[in-house]
Amino acid sequence: MPRHHRLAAALLAFAVAASAPAAEKKPFFPYPMKVDQLPNGLTVVRVPFASNGMIAYYSAVRTGSRNEVEAGHTGFAHFFEHMMFKGTKKYPTGEREKILGALGFDDNAFTTDDCTIYHSFGPSSGLEKLIEVEADRFMNLEYSEPSFQTEAKAILGEYHKNAAHPELKMEEALNATAFKKHTYSHTTMGFYDDIKAMPDKYEYSKSFFQRWYRPDNVIIYIVGEFDDAKAMALVKAAYSPWQGKAAQVDIPKESPQAAPLAVGLEWETPTLPRHVQAWRTPAASLATLDGQVQNVLASYLAGPTSPVYKELVLEKQLVEQVGAPYSEHRDPYLFTVGAMLKDEANRAAVDAAIDREVKALASGKVDKKRVADIRSNIRYSFLMGLETADDIAGALAYTGALFGAPDALDRYYRRFDEVQPQHLVDFAKKYLTEKNRTVLTLKPKAAASQPEGK
Amino acid sequence: MHALFASLAAFALAQAPAQNIDVAPLRTPPPMDTVLLPVANKPIVSFRLVFRSGSVDDPAGKEGLTNLTSDVLVQGGTKKLSSSELLEALFPMAAELEVYNDKELTAFVGRVHKDNLDRFFQIFTDVLLEPRFDPKELDRIRSDEVNAVKNHLRGEDDETLGKVALDAVLFDGHPYRHFVGGTVQGLQSITLDDVKAQWKRVFTKDRLVIGLAGAVDDALAKKVKDRLAALPDTGAPRVKLTPVPRRTGQALVLKKDALSTAVSMGYAYPLRRGDPDFFAVAFALSYLGQHRQSQGVLFNELREKRGMNYGDYAYAEHFIQDGWGANPRTNVGRTVQDFTIWIRPTEPQNAIFATRGALHFLQKLIDKPIPKGEFDAARGFLAGLTRVWEQTDQRKLGYAIDDRFYGTKDFHEAFRQALAAMTPEQVQAAAKRHLKVEDLNFVYVAKDAEALRKALTGGAPTPIAYPTPKPQDVVAEDKAFTGRRIPVKVDAVKVIDAQTFMEK
Repeated sequence: MPRHHRLAAALLAFAVAASAPAAEKKPFFPYPMKVDQLPNGLTVVRVPFASNGMIAYYSAVRTGSRNEVEAGHTGFAHFFEHMMFKGTKKYPTGEREKILGALGFDDNAFTTDDCTIYHSFGPSSGLEKLIEVEADRFMNLEYSEPSFQTEAKAILGEYHKNAAHPELKMEEALNATAFKKHTYSHTTMGFYDDIKAMPDKYEYSKSFFQRWYRPDNVIIYIVGEFDDAKAMALVKAAYSPWQGKAAQVDIPKESPQAAPLAVGLEWETPTLPRHVQAWRTPAASLATLDGQVQNVLASYLAGPTSPVYKELVLEKQLVEQVGAPYSEHRDPYLFTVGAMLKDEANRAAVDAAIDREVKALASGKVDKKRVADIRSNIRYSFLMGLETADDIAGALAYTGALFGAPDALDRYYRRFDEVQPQHLVDFAKKYLTEKNRTVLTLKPKAAASQPEGK
Repeated sequence: MHALFASLAAFALAQAPAQNIDVAPLRTPPPMDTVLLPVANKPIVSFRLVFRSGSVDDPAGKEGLTNLTSDVLVQGGTKKLSSSELLEALFPMAAELEVYNDKELTAFVGRVHKDNLDRFFQIFTDVLLEPRFDPKELDRIRSDEVNAVKNHLRGEDDETLGKVALDAVLFDGHPYRHFVGGTVQGLQSITLDDVKAQWKRVFTKDRLVIGLAGAVDDALAKKVKDRLAALPDTGAPRVKLTPVPRRTGQALVLKKDALSTAVSMGYAYPLRRGDPDFFAVAFALSYLGQHRQSQGVLFNELREKRGMNYGDYAYAEHFIQDGWGANPRTNVGRTVQDFTIWIRPTEPQNAIFATRGALHFLQKLIDKPIPKGEFDAARGFLAGLTRVWEQTDQRKLGYAIDDRFYGTKDFHEAFRQALAAMTPEQVQAAAKRHLKVEDLNFVYVAKDAEALRKALTGGAPTPIAYPTPKPQDVVAEDKAFTGRRIPVKVDAVKVIDAQTFMEK
């Protein structure tokens, strides 16, 4: 891709109304991509990529903890991800792992708020068998109640290991405070009480499969070295019997926030105090620039070249870290700036520094060079992040499931060039307001018992 | 001291000679030895500069100095650029500039798109050659590193805490003992002059291997060598590692408020890459418990069948995970390696049962050849996995550079060839030579440390109450190990408060 393209695209976006159809552009995503949809609704994407005989195979399911609308059943999308490894009639528990293992596949899965991704990476010579066993489990999963109950204990173990770190509790508290109706009120792990009660939910787990593991809710990505026609023929043969449509569910809409919110946590063991400001913000989407703007905003407000970082981390050394760990969400979620304080006494100064930068931006003060640098950073991070077939398939699958479009990666990333400094100003003015904010504080117990205001 | 004394006493009782682990030092490649791996049509340049320097080079009382010095280089700015200007320069390029530290090796890693190569080359080499040594940056970075011990290690990550503590048990009294990141008092005693001196002592030409991959060629290699010729030829004499005694049967319980109990076990041994048995033992332990893969025996037996925890793994050499994936970090080359088993946190009442389970399945691996079908499956899996391990240019460089220190060649290809020729009987024989349940040492991170001490030394069976019915074969196998002896010497169980760990 020629290097002037970025500038040309930016100028174009500036001159033409945002809704105008884009002129014919070279794709931002630098590899060729083929997309087909089977009659049952399953979408299959292939990207040929020089990979030294390796192949990455991703199944992206557009269901995450966002879909957990029933009370008492939080954490099920993630739990179900584990159950997908529990076998079928044809390949009972452990058989699939033996087969894929012998072929040399590195194989795993993960779940987020919005999607569940299954991934395998290994020699291309195993693709035929891989397609067969993957199709088999997505269509014919079958597990027993004891197997389900045993896995519930592994989930509890996963929760326990994560619970040593304050971040899990912080996310739980922040989400439960900021969301009262929407399912983003719980984390992907789920509420602890629900996790402990999981062993009793065998029947429910089967209905979860029926509702969400349907061909129209899944995109398959194959990246690496393989014969495309042969792979497609195998996919068609293996997945065509899969029938049904994914369920529709009404995710409760969160009412606009009426007043500032706050939540405080105490931590039993020694740790550094944390300070988080979070604002309710719009969803990321292929139809708007809201995701891209928040991504740029994250670096702008708290990235390593931001005034906040320079002041708090480098000059005054009030915090160990500060950052805005933005992650795109399908529904309106949170934009968060968080800091790890070196001392409880620094809290007010840290809070004020973040406030000051947010207000300056909302008042129209914006550093244009920094916005340009951030766009450059995103462009090079993107290109450098696609080194292996596995990297490429991972990026495609995640954005594909998040946005519900097979080519979402290209469509989402190419629009970063449209983000202008004024977008940040407008966004900050509209969303990063006092009323729209939740503040989370975490104090280690010793510090928490000290009087405030030192 | 107590642990050492107890172990010596126990040795005497058992009439076993107190042996040291007999192993030659790592090799010394020629100064600025270069690994060049050009990749056609690749737009990214990877730099990997690995020094034969690590926490073993920390002077006594200044534990953490090598790690801190390398961080001051990478984060603290250059003569031309302050720390914040350095960040500003790297940011638009999304260039990566990082350092990874271990006991004997330190890797400075750079990665950049070829569009930005010239600018990055200057910065990357300035970082090593013309550091700023800003006292304020030293204060900042040191404070982060003290917190890394005081809060993050002791307080927030029981799994890593258990692993670091196992190192401390296996290598008590040895330069490997202390956490690579340092001890609280060691870090606090370091001055800017110490950092400046350590830079000249350990980041020298005679300790350096240069790795370049991706959009690289001979001209770039020459340019890098010419620029790095400005490093000192030599600095501190190589640390002569004191012998490591064969330490067995020790247990350390780190007491802290924790929902669950983390378990690590293992021992130091002479086996390492280049040994004729290395691949066979590495294969046996991959079969027993490949890191974060669902293939392993321990994963299937303890997690999948028994619901003990989130995962259970075994390692033939010291393992540090590379980022968020399941790959091993490269350049963790060590003269003395260790064999370890990692049991992820279990519910406290199951910690001893899980330990006994791990010992039982390890013993089976030693006693019987791996059944043929499982052997072939595990072999295919590992052969494939070695290819996953070499997918990125940085990883290829890391392995190729490790080859120079171990005196091995083309590690993964050699591994695959060795796998192709192995038989279950050979693997069992190698496992038998190097893996011994009786030699294990144990670390627990737990809330009720006293109860654990009693359980470890009391020997009472720990039958398990499952919340769900289990198949007959599982119940029967449980019976076989629920009373199994844990090879901990009665006087060699030490309990310490996690908050005191790595204080000095």
